[in-house]
Amino acid sequence: MSKLSKKIALVGPFGVGKSSLFRRFIDDAFSEDYKSTLGVQIQKKVIQMDNGTALSMILWDTEGHEEISESRSSYLLGSHAFIYVFDLTRIDTYKNINDQIVFLKSNYPNVLLKIIGNKVDTVVLKRVKKSLKEHNVNYDCLTSAKTGENVAELFVDIAVDLTN
Amino acid sequence: MEQNERLKLLKKILLTEEKEVTDSLIADVEKLSNTLNQPHELAQKIDPLIDSKIKKLVDDMPKKLSPVITSALKAEIKNSQDAVVEALFPIIGKLIKKYIAHEIKLLNEQINAQLKKAFSFKNFFKSIFRKKDMGSEIIANSNQASVLQIFVIEKASGILVAKYAKEEFDTMDDDLIAGMLTAIKSFVEDAFKMGGQNLETIVYELYTLHIQSFHNYYVAAVVSGTYTNEFKDILEDKILDFAEKGISKEDINNSEIFSSRLKTYFSEQII
Repeated sequence: MSKLSKKIALVGPFGVGKSSLFRRFIDDAFSEDYKSTLGVQIQKKVIQMDNGTALSMILWDTEGHEEISESRSSYLLGSHAFIYVFDLTRIDTYKNINDQIVFLKSNYPNVLLKIIGNKVDTVVLKRVKKSLKEHNVNYDCLTSAKTGENVAELFVDIAVDLTN
Repeated sequence: MEQNERLKLLKKILLTEEKEVTDSLIADVEKLSNTLNQPHELAQKIDPLIDSKIKKLVDDMPKKLSPVITSALKAEIKNSQDAVVEALFPIIGKLIKKYIAHEIKLLNEQINAQLKKAFSFKNFFKSIFRKKDMGSEIIANSNQASVLQIFVIEKASGILVAKYAKEEFDTMDDDLIAGMLTAIKSFVEDAFKMGGQNLETIVYELYTLHIQSFHNYYVAAVVSGTYTNEFKDILEDKILDFAEKGISKEDINNSEIFSSRLKTYFSEQII
């Protein structure tokens, strides 16, 4: 059985639910209490892949920044995947998302990038999809850290992409 | 009816009720007098009352007296610190004395062991050619530094490439240590923008974390004992030597082989 370790960084603005997604995936838990992340928190989850590889996903939950360029570059360096999280209930977290994506792609080329709209449990899907279309947001997945919707699927997708 | 009889009748009507009251009062006074004059009777009446009062007083005493005593003690201690120190000194002194005696005994045992080793025939001949002072060497050897754990970590990602730990020393998840150490290292290096300088040591009471950076990875060694400059130099040379001879590109991609090579290289005492 082979072992593999990959660094995955959660990035995005304040209060979009990065730490909640992190906690939902690692501990399968959720809390309504909002505590802003200072610096970074790191956790690990091992996923057993179909090809026999034991993939250690080292998750770096970074502090939120309105502009990704303000993030500490040393926390992002060496990442094998980025999860860019925005809040479906706050337009300000996705209206300029394409600028953030361009920054990530140009500064960290060849790094897998997933764009995630979180808090899907609190919105009217039809209305929010319309708004996302109006702002040209190309997302990969809509999740809810609160209910767990699509959270495990997101990380499994990333694990598959990283091991293929 | 004659006047006398009428007067008697009037007296009877007016004084009958008063007489009854007076008689009752006289009876009560007699009863009270009996109770007061006979201790047994008096005790029967008063004892339960005194008991209940005493019980209440005992129950309330801690609550009512505690603040008074505490503040009185505080004031007393503040006003007579010398007396307090004098009173406590023999007790604390005994404890400190006992602790120091124990530590000296341990040190003594270590030095004896070192002396025994130093004055063996083998060392006698060695010492003829030795430049260093034997005394300081014995003291240094009594708390000799040793590498307990060593990590090779990818610099950018913080991913653990290889690890060796002495059997008796194991810590939490190695991947998390590697990640957090990288985050701390990056944070310190970013925070003090001193231009390309690296975090070199972290001291944690009895342990020192020796950090040595290379281009793509860095080595972190957990050292116990006296981390002297001499030990630091030797450890640095050893790590440099390992990096030069022991690490190839293939090793970086094969964690198991790399870890076993690390074990072979660092399991022996460095000094």
